[in-house]
Amino acid sequence: MKEKRSTKPDYVTDEERREFLKLGLKITGVMAGGTVLSLMPLSDQEAGAVVKLEGYENTQYKPHYCMVIRQNDCVDCQKCMEACVKTNHVPEYGFRTTILEKTAEDDSGNTFPVFMPVLCNHCMNPPCVRVCPTKATTKDPKTGIVLMHIEKCIGCKTCMAACPYNARYYNEEKKAIDKCNFCWDTRLSKGEKETACVAACPAHVRVFGDLSDRNSEVWKLIHQPDKAVWVLRPETGARPCIFYMND
Amino acid sequence: MLRKGFLYILMGSVAVVMFLSTAQVMGQEDEDYPQEPIIFTKPVKAVIFDHKYHIEQGLDCDSCHDDPFEMAAGTAEQNDDFNMKSLYEGKYCGTCHDGESAFAANTRCTLCHIGVKGYNRLMGTPEKGHGEH
Repeated sequence: MKEKRSTKPDYVTDEERREFLKLGLKITGVMAGGTVLSLMPLSDQEAGAVVKLEGYENTQYKPHYCMVIRQNDCVDCQKCMEACVKTNHVPEYGFRTTILEKTAEDDSGNTFPVFMPVLCNHCMNPPCVRVCPTKATTKDPKTGIVLMHIEKCIGCKTCMAACPYNARYYNEEKKAIDKCNFCWDTRLSKGEKETACVAACPAHVRVFGDLSDRNSEVWKLIHQPDKAVWVLRPETGARPCIFYMND
Repeated sequence: MLRKGFLYILMGSVAVVMFLSTAQVMGQEDEDYPQEPIIFTKPVKAVIFDHKYHIEQGLDCDSCHDDPFEMAAGTAEQNDDFNMKSLYEGKYCGTCHDGESAFAANTRCTLCHIGVKGYNRLMGTPEKGHGEH
């Protein structure tokens, strides 16, 4: 059992550290009881010193869909949430994406709100997929999207409990769990290049793209020198594919 | 004597009336702006503007009225160009929020953008329940 992970707040496994190094990111800190991991892009020199191993960089996923969230530009207008609800027919009692709020303090001691968009993290090592007894949720071998196959879902909600990101809800109408699938059925499979939430965002907070493509905006965003990048709840070992940064 | 006394009383009364009316005018000037914050909901929900805070920074009515903002609340919101791009071009709030007179409009977003959450708090609307999660 790896239960000790959650009781040691500053614990980052060597495996996790290596995975981020493979992505060209170094871990610079662990904050908020281990729920926030601070990452920095490696300098060319450092990157050259890293032993190349299998990881984020050489996955089977092509395209490897991911999202970068430029957090400090989010103003909680909720146009992303509205677009998601409309596109994916999300009922009033659930959500596929939402915005969390916390209060931060600037250097002068003035407080201001910080808005944090959250959604399914389409993890490299998704705990929901591991626990599903009927294989009703899978990680798509082509795109890396964590998908629901509602015809197989028995509504046991084990995946809801396993998800570190509170990204799943039970849909009464579907009699199945529902979650973000990067608008796979509603947009991407129909040729759209981005999700509904990304298209609706007026501030370019959400950036969607292919992590396996070094020319993609997402790859470039998280590999800027001197820009910190972080992921949520790294201590779970789920290796999320939603990256956060400030613009 | 009677006349003189009457004159004193009259002068005293005039003085009192003048004092009172001046005080009233001064008082009016102090409060002659909306005490409640202005809440913009277009093009995004929601942006807060507090007259009191801006008066305290030394601004007066003429600083912003009728240019860049009409007196009537909600007028700017009718315009298609009431957006961040215009602010960056020095229009509306961008007249001062240019990084020199006041913090630049492309910084400190959430100081003015209170979001749907901030809007609902001000209006007393409960947040949409997500109890199932």
